[in-house]
Amino acid sequence: MATASIPHAATATATATRPGNRALRRFLRHRLALFGLVTILLLSLNSGLGPLLNPFDDLYIDVMHRFAAPFGDSHLLGTDALGRDMLARLMMAGRVSLTVGFVAMIISTAIGTTIGAIAGYYGRFIGAALMRTVDAMLCFPAIFLLLTLATLVSPSLTTITLIISLTAWMEVARVVEAQIRSLRERDFAVAAEVMGASDARTIFRELLPNAVAPIVVAATLIVARAILLESYVSFLGYGIQPPVASWGNMLNNAQQYLTTAPWLAIFPGAMITLAVTSFNFLGDGLRDALDPR
Amino acid sequence: MLALPTPHIRRRALLGAAGATLIGAGAQAQTKPPAAPKGQVIVGVSQEPTRFHPLAPAIEVDQGVWWNLFSPLWNVQPDGGYQPVLAREVPSVENGGISADGLLWRIRLRDGIKWHDGTAFTAEDVKFTLQLINNPDFRAASRTGHNLVQDIKVVSATEITWRMSEVYAPYLSRLSWTFIVPKHALEKATDINNAPFINAPIGTGPFKWAERVPGDHITLVANRDYFGDGPYLERLVFKYIPDLTVMYTQLRTGEIDHTSIQGITPDLFEQAKTLKDRVVTKTPAAWIESITPNLGWSFLADKAVREALYLGINKKAFVGAIYYGVPDPTESIYPAQSAFYNPDLPKQDYSPAKANALLDAAGWVRGSDGVRAKGGVRLEFTNSTTAGNQVREQGQQLLVQDWKAIGAAMKINNMPGAVIWGDYWAMSKFQSVMVGVSFGIGADPEVTDRLASTAIPAKGGSGRNTSQYANPAVDALLKEGATTFDFAKRKEIYRKIQSIVRDDLAILPLFQSYSVEGLKKGLVGYAPNINTLSNCWNCGSWYWAA
Amino acid sequence: MASYLVKRAIQSLILLWLVSMIGFAILHLAPGGPLAQFALTPGMTDADLKRMAQQMGLDRPLPIQYLEWAWRLLCGDWGNSYRDSKPVLSIIAGHLGATFELMFASTTIAVLLGSWVGVLGAVRRYSLFDTLATVGAMIALSIPTFWFGLIFIYIFSVTLGWLPAGSRFTIGDGSLLDYALHLIAPSIVLGFVTVAIWSRFMRASMLDVINQDYVRTARAKGLPERVILVKHTIRNAILPMITIAGLQLPTLLSGALVTETVFTWPGMGRLFLDSISYRDYPAVMGILMCSALLVLIGSLLADVLYSVADPRIRLD
Repeated sequence: MATASIPHAATATATATRPGNRALRRFLRHRLALFGLVTILLLSLNSGLGPLLNPFDDLYIDVMHRFAAPFGDSHLLGTDALGRDMLARLMMAGRVSLTVGFVAMIISTAIGTTIGAIAGYYGRFIGAALMRTVDAMLCFPAIFLLLTLATLVSPSLTTITLIISLTAWMEVARVVEAQIRSLRERDFAVAAEVMGASDARTIFRELLPNAVAPIVVAATLIVARAILLESYVSFLGYGIQPPVASWGNMLNNAQQYLTTAPWLAIFPGAMITLAVTSFNFLGDGLRDALDPR
Repeated sequence: MLALPTPHIRRRALLGAAGATLIGAGAQAQTKPPAAPKGQVIVGVSQEPTRFHPLAPAIEVDQGVWWNLFSPLWNVQPDGGYQPVLAREVPSVENGGISADGLLWRIRLRDGIKWHDGTAFTAEDVKFTLQLINNPDFRAASRTGHNLVQDIKVVSATEITWRMSEVYAPYLSRLSWTFIVPKHALEKATDINNAPFINAPIGTGPFKWAERVPGDHITLVANRDYFGDGPYLERLVFKYIPDLTVMYTQLRTGEIDHTSIQGITPDLFEQAKTLKDRVVTKTPAAWIESITPNLGWSFLADKAVREALYLGINKKAFVGAIYYGVPDPTESIYPAQSAFYNPDLPKQDYSPAKANALLDAAGWVRGSDGVRAKGGVRLEFTNSTTAGNQVREQGQQLLVQDWKAIGAAMKINNMPGAVIWGDYWAMSKFQSVMVGVSFGIGADPEVTDRLASTAIPAKGGSGRNTSQYANPAVDALLKEGATTFDFAKRKEIYRKIQSIVRDDLAILPLFQSYSVEGLKKGLVGYAPNINTLSNCWNCGSWYWAA
Repeated sequence: MASYLVKRAIQSLILLWLVSMIGFAILHLAPGGPLAQFALTPGMTDADLKRMAQQMGLDRPLPIQYLEWAWRLLCGDWGNSYRDSKPVLSIIAGHLGATFELMFASTTIAVLLGSWVGVLGAVRRYSLFDTLATVGAMIALSIPTFWFGLIFIYIFSVTLGWLPAGSRFTIGDGSLLDYALHLIAPSIVLGFVTVAIWSRFMRASMLDVINQDYVRTARAKGLPERVILVKHTIRNAILPMITIAGLQLPTLLSGALVTETVFTWPGMGRLFLDSISYRDYPAVMGILMCSALLVLIGSLLADVLYSVADPRIRLD
């Protein structure tokens, strides 16, 4: 999964051990990152295949058995306010939240990195124009964008992911632009230019790999924000419509019952924490592995 | 020919039905109010009161503040009767206040009433108020009824007359919600919509304006020159707490003394009743919760489908499980405490079997996924309500399941309040909504605005008949009801209306709402009033026992 | 530098104008409106609502409404809120103070604690402290603020009774102690997440710097560790943090929103949320303009400071 997509971190001059392998080995040594990777895989499997194995349906309302405590007779993780099985809902919700978090992160990181890199490298007019666009987008507070954009399109998994991505790419762009701008003046970059490397090659092969650290940190933070933003969007009224569950909207619905049925909030909260933490560890590992230093 | 008109003086017996579980109130009612205003009460509200001009468009919390700052000519009591406030007596045909043909009104006002700034209150203020409402430049909340007022004459400082251009029986009720504003403070304003008055209101009520901290609270202080009884509190504070859970917590910790709009959520009712030193009451409200179908949309226009859908609702589970049994299931568009309530409407029957049979007979055939279809149209529709309303969302999900059992697929499509109640609702763009509506105005059952066929905005009409209900029999009855002052006759008319509406299933009524509000023990005088929009209508009579 | 500043100022003005147009359009074109809240109020009819829309000028073509609003803005009139008819500027000013207070308190906690954790974590990389700090930061980042806030209230206000359950002050009591007590809980809750963010970025930035040649050189030269840390490492590690700090400015207006809601703190976040909920167009546009201004100023400051701190970067 993640290991397969590690790019070559340096120029492809033949060496005894390929840089990709070195990075891979560095990654495998990073225990927390491995933990993160394994956890994410497990969570994905759980959400993907789990519902097929669970006898309970995530949508079936059983008013007689509402608020059943976890580790009781039939429902392993208890039931929610409408008597639906928590385990089933958590698994189905995982599909939604993980997808939103991951895809939003990919999209916003891709957009942000591209725009930031181009702006930082070329500077002058192009750079200014692009960064001012970033500034313009940043001028709109996230809620404004979320609320108004969401009223214009009907809320669904796709539209929510897109909208969350649209509110998150700017920070990546800014960080990348600042990094590229400073890296551009460094010796190795100047050297590459003198050697006649094309712009694209300089950007993608020389500069970006050295800027990987803050990009990865920013990207992993975006996953967290995306998952939590999704829950906040539900709170404001544009989220995943019921009865579809997401960890975010399960957490929202559990607010009311914090003192009477705390497990309704603990489980989705724990899942969010686990998923986000794993993404963060993974990001840490990736950054350490890709960092040629 | 109009029969002898009588105002709606209700039987005292109905008082028992209101304020059902006012625990401990009986014992506390024995204590006497203090001689001088003492102490303060902090009222928690979950929406911020922002409008202090009592004639401007506003929401319920705003009216709650107005009741304490301003006075109407007469107010409406919990039992539906009117009690004179600024007027010396409520006008009626018997006492000559209203002429026999209902067109000439003569109001006698009390003497010696002063505005908060010391100026004397006179009939000029009443005239000014009525004229201001009709002023085309003024953004009045509503002109209904007021626009029929002509030839206002100030006979003396304490007497005023006017002529109505047509008979309008609900006008007594209208005036019970119309607060009088001071002429001397407003007539000189350069911009009548933005006078300094709105940030420092001057009224004749039991409390005076002290200060407002935007986004936080509003403080009122006792008006020691109040012409009526009271006030018995030195300070009345309205505190804005946007989150209901937090508001409940603040009641528990004692940071607020009363949880007003929007009250305590039904799931906390049982727990709240056990709180030490807190009195939690469940009082009837005028809001009728229903599934309102768009009768102009697809198969919802078909009565058989509506009947089947109604048969498929497990109301007992709905009210019992989702709402913890707090509200009362109902069949009517009026609250049970209304004098015009029809108790003989047929009770809903929960029978998926009958529903299935009905749909089968109507030609709706189940598809492979369990959803019925007829002539290529699936029995699928959306239901919308205000997003973020957790309890309603749970109710919707229960309905999804209930209706799945009879082969109907309901999809939830919720939106924020500012969106759903805009054109989506007003221009009948919805398929069905879950909504709480207060039919009628105060104690008056007048409902032409919502049920008449001429009141459909989507068809070019003027009104709020957004469900596009059209029944000529109801149209005729509505006309009669609005022009008769005879109580007995009106009662009969509105009973018939309820019966027809129920039969047509213009709405699928679910329950009559109750508000669950909490008080600190020792606070005397709280009297929930189903005929006002807020239960803070009489804070001038509240006091702390001992 | 001067010409750069002038250029940026002009660009910012153009941007502000664009933002105002786009924002105005999006806001007004979004379905619903300020009159939706009255749709169910008993006593108000459809005719009344139509009349009000006309009196408020909402039925005019959008470009005309925009031009009128923009013209008034240029003349210094930011308009009056639809909700309480108060001037938008005074409403914003009133709420801004509360938000600044909260942001200042929570950022102080976050920066101090976060930098300390981040630096130590980088210096003692992979040690127990670092691992615990990393894991702790991860968890802190992942906990939803409203959940944490509600639990905080439940423990410290309802159960223990040590702290008030929200608001900025007790009505009637305006003492400094009262203000301070009310500030503790929300700033801890808000700062909790920010600590994690700061420590993560600080650590990453420190790690970048620590492995630089010049640090290794300094160590080879025999300089004491503390001197290396303070004189060389930390100062350079702070540079990217400036960009981050510049980015925090826009969050000033909406970032604390959840905390403000849970603790009923009368700040900008809640004002914005309420204004949008009620479609209070003048207030929303006013807040949007303020937010845009803050973002542009913050962005400019960050760029200028960054180039001042790192002479290799040229501003053009």
